[in-house]
Amino acid sequence: MGQATEQFFAALPRRAPAVLRGPTDGTLQIDLTTGNRTEHWYVELAPGSAQVSREQRPAEATFTVGADLFEELADGRESALAAVFRNEATLSGNVLLFLLFRRFFPDPPGTRDPREVAREVVREQAGRSE
Amino acid sequence: MTRVSILDGNTFLVSDERGDIEPSFDFPTGLFSFDTRFVSTWILTLDGQRLHPLSIDDSLSYGTRFFLVPGEPTHYLDAKVSVLRSRSIGGSFGEELTVLNHAGQEQEFSLRLDIGADFADVFEIKHQRQKKGRTTPGTRTNELRLVYRRENLHRETVISTSAPGDIDEGGMTFRIRVGPHGEWTTRLQVTTIIYGARGEDIRTTLPLGGHRTAAAIHAEQNELIERAPKLGCDCQPLAGAYRRSLNDLAALRYESIALGVRLLAAGLPWFMTLFGRDSIFTSLQVLPFLPELVPPTILMLAGLQGSRLDDFRDEEPGKILHELRYGETAGFLEQPHSPYYGSADSTALFVILLDEYERWTGDTTLIRQLEHETRAALSWIDTYGDLLGTGYVWYMTRNPETGLQNQCWKDSWNSVSYADGRLPAFPRATCELQGYAYDAKLRGARLARTFWNDPAYADQLEREAAALKERFNRDFWIPEKEYYALALDPEGRHVDALSSNIGHLLWSGIVDESRAAAVARHLLGPRLFSGWGVRTLADDQGRYNPIGYHVGTVWPFDNSFIAWGLMRYGFREEAGRICDAMLSASRYFDGRLPEAFAGYERDLTDYPVQYPTACSPQAWSSGTPLLLLRVMLGLEPQGEHLIIDPALPEGMGRVEVLDIPGRWGRVDALGRSRSPHDGSRGH
Repeated sequence: MGQATEQFFAALPRRAPAVLRGPTDGTLQIDLTTGNRTEHWYVELAPGSAQVSREQRPAEATFTVGADLFEELADGRESALAAVFRNEATLSGNVLLFLLFRRFFPDPPGTRDPREVAREVVREQAGRSE
Repeated sequence: MTRVSILDGNTFLVSDERGDIEPSFDFPTGLFSFDTRFVSTWILTLDGQRLHPLSIDDSLSYGTRFFLVPGEPTHYLDAKVSVLRSRSIGGSFGEELTVLNHAGQEQEFSLRLDIGADFADVFEIKHQRQKKGRTTPGTRTNELRLVYRRENLHRETVISTSAPGDIDEGGMTFRIRVGPHGEWTTRLQVTTIIYGARGEDIRTTLPLGGHRTAAAIHAEQNELIERAPKLGCDCQPLAGAYRRSLNDLAALRYESIALGVRLLAAGLPWFMTLFGRDSIFTSLQVLPFLPELVPPTILMLAGLQGSRLDDFRDEEPGKILHELRYGETAGFLEQPHSPYYGSADSTALFVILLDEYERWTGDTTLIRQLEHETRAALSWIDTYGDLLGTGYVWYMTRNPETGLQNQCWKDSWNSVSYADGRLPAFPRATCELQGYAYDAKLRGARLARTFWNDPAYADQLEREAAALKERFNRDFWIPEKEYYALALDPEGRHVDALSSNIGHLLWSGIVDESRAAAVARHLLGPRLFSGWGVRTLADDQGRYNPIGYHVGTVWPFDNSFIAWGLMRYGFREEAGRICDAMLSASRYFDGRLPEAFAGYERDLTDYPVQYPTACSPQAWSSGTPLLLLRVMLGLEPQGEHLIIDPALPEGMGRVEVLDIPGRWGRVDALGRSRSPHDGSRGH
């Protein structure tokens, strides 16, 4: 298991109060594949909380993805839905639950606040026209 | 060339008037599903000859019948043989081919169907790209299978025939003998497969209903139309447009690949997918008539609300999406639509729709369930929306390669200009964005006070709205021209073109009472009003072009919201003129208002000229007659009641809408125009 993946799951309970503020709840199963091996993760989502477990339990939705790709989702470099659309990741069950979980994925590394960027552009434009 | 389309949600087929499909790289002809072309060649020949249509029955949205004969049109009358081509679409595509022998003796024929699939993504047709994957044909008994693969992406088109034929990699040939006055028939079935989890079709592993039959579509459309309020009126164009709208809205519903609910596709053929802005405007239009179409849209937009900063997708936390695409180019990051968030208005419009939805339906559950998403949307307006920190909503894409330059409803590159035609720098703050923000704050305040038990937040939002209105009326008003600037440029100067955007300001309520009459005068004045409707850009502006997509054409949806705005400020006669003009125009399109038509003066052309590549049906054009009815009858929910205050344009005669659904149960609305010519005039 990659470092970003490990850190991602470890941080879920702490981040849940800020991310999961609606009334939706349910369990999402995440299957991480490496060759013929599959690691199962279960995330129980509830208002303000996320419990992570490796023990098998019933799930309302399943997200299946290569462990390497998940590492890139966990550090923000990749996008989950694009991966689904090119069939590199697959989804089954209650998709709303997955859309909720998707909110945990971080910004791509190095992304700047767009307001900062826009103000910089305006300053440059003003500088050029002087 | 005449094109014939049938559709079921986002699966649709566009052919020529013979029923043939020839490979095309400039217009999306073919069989499409989920943004992918599954059939790009479908050409029928009889003994090596192309066929010609005698007649076409295209009265159904999901089925067409072609009556064809071989040879040139001048030989028609002598035809010894004719071919019936009867097709329908319902998730998959079926076509029945019947050869009729009109001669008194047995005849032999060779019937050939050329078949091909290029698996092009809609964007590859728009921008003409070469495929990166490989297509492999495979033949079996009575079946041709076309397989496309690119890495894990795997799509198939499977064509089968009920009567035996010779199958090759490029189609099927039927060598047949038909008895005197006899007939021969085969049924072709075309199945499209998008592989997903466990090697199954992605649509079977998600909670979707899967393929619907034509009979199921028929039943479902009828049920939807049955549930809608009944219209009785003297005005034939209105009656025709209403019925056509209900049919088209029913046909444009598609099953979301992600939610298992029915969403509305935006427009055939280019926009058969979910758009934030289009689906919200359409929802606002249909609310008084078909409120059950609205919650799935709201839930999907909330579920896909932006959650992170992503430059490629112009995504920010709290933002409502612009466009969602399921195709190959979205998957392989050649386009940003997974989803793309380059829209500066959908977020405020989302809040407006939620409030309007509750006012009509009283469905408080949904409002409470989405409190967090609604707060996040309101918060976006003042944070990431206000790029420059000046108290306005601005836009500037962070994806210059494939993002949108203009992120308002007029999203073509040249839509925002100064009166002299120059284009301003970025970021830009168009005026209607500020109107939507103002309205969203007031509506958000009502939601906070009534449903979230947060009066302090409600007060704050109302204070912010009042300050925004004051600021806006100071900074956007051009005193010497007596209208609001189309936008502010990054230095805060007026982008001073006269545009239809000022009509949306009336709808939002951000216009000072003292200035409303001047705005209404401009909207109905000769520079903006063509006689068929309000032009997107006034005809004396630098970039005006009567067939320019957003710089001179007339958009029915735009006009419906302008009419609503005029009503809001009490300009009922002016609103009526717009309703009347739109309904008159609809007559020339068999009741189906297109996406846009040309801005030529009514006296010049005598009929509205359709914009060359306009989408039709287009959801928010289909929704237009419904909103016009609301405006003419003066329908407005107030508490538990529906206010009915009709003001019909002269000559409209009697209009009655029976069984308008809402929190009041069902009520009827009746109106009659006050005019000596009642009922005597068609439009």
